[in-house]
Amino acid sequence: MKKTIEVINELKKVGLLKDYAIGGAIGVLKWVEPFFTRDLDIFIIPIKEAEKEVINLSPIYEYLKKRGCSWKGQWLMVEGTPVDFIPVDALEKEAVENAQTVEFEGVKTKVITPEYLIVLLLKTGRDKDYRKIEMLLKQAEVNQDRLNKILAQYGLSEKFIKFKEVRDGR
Amino acid sequence: MEDKRKIIIGDKTMTRKELFEEKEKFRKVQAGMPFEEKIKALVELQKIAYSWGGKRDVVIWTRK
Repeated sequence: MKKTIEVINELKKVGLLKDYAIGGAIGVLKWVEPFFTRDLDIFIIPIKEAEKEVINLSPIYEYLKKRGCSWKGQWLMVEGTPVDFIPVDALEKEAVENAQTVEFEGVKTKVITPEYLIVLLLKTGRDKDYRKIEMLLKQAEVNQDRLNKILAQYGLSEKFIKFKEVRDGR
Repeated sequence: MEDKRKIIIGDKTMTRKELFEEKEKFRKVQAGMPFEEKIKALVELQKIAYSWGGKRDVVIWTRK
């Protein structure tokens, strides 16, 4: 994964993306016990804001293609790792901007914090997302005030209360 | 009631409740592992899913 992160850092360095952070299952895995997953979700803030509902990631793809990356199903294979590049929405943009800088085998990268991951997972709301929220709440250090603030900001407080009620069997 | 039943494993004695509490503690310790170690564990899980689990569509994250 080190090589993959180095290539993604290059994208930022050469000006093909403004910023990025690791999210999805690998983002969660940073904060909890190891579990199985298939791909690496990279949330990206493109250089240009989306124009006319179109987000053009072709320059990124062209750059990666020159570096020997290719498609494998839905994923771009970057140094042996299947990667999903996800252009951010408003909530994800904030999550990327507030992501934590960490090192992976000496290479700097950013990972979305547990509070934002919980909100993102809650928003998606599939069974596997709820299982990850459960892991984060039990195993990660979650700042409850920060979490509540983000939930309220994005109108998800009620959904979170319902999730907790189901979890607690009420 | 069942949770208070004692389980004896060698020289260790614990209740079911204590056993599950131990497991939860272990998960928290695992959660504190370095990121690199977790990715190594993930690659091992991918190998197991591919070979033992017969999931041939799983990509094992190894460097080219």
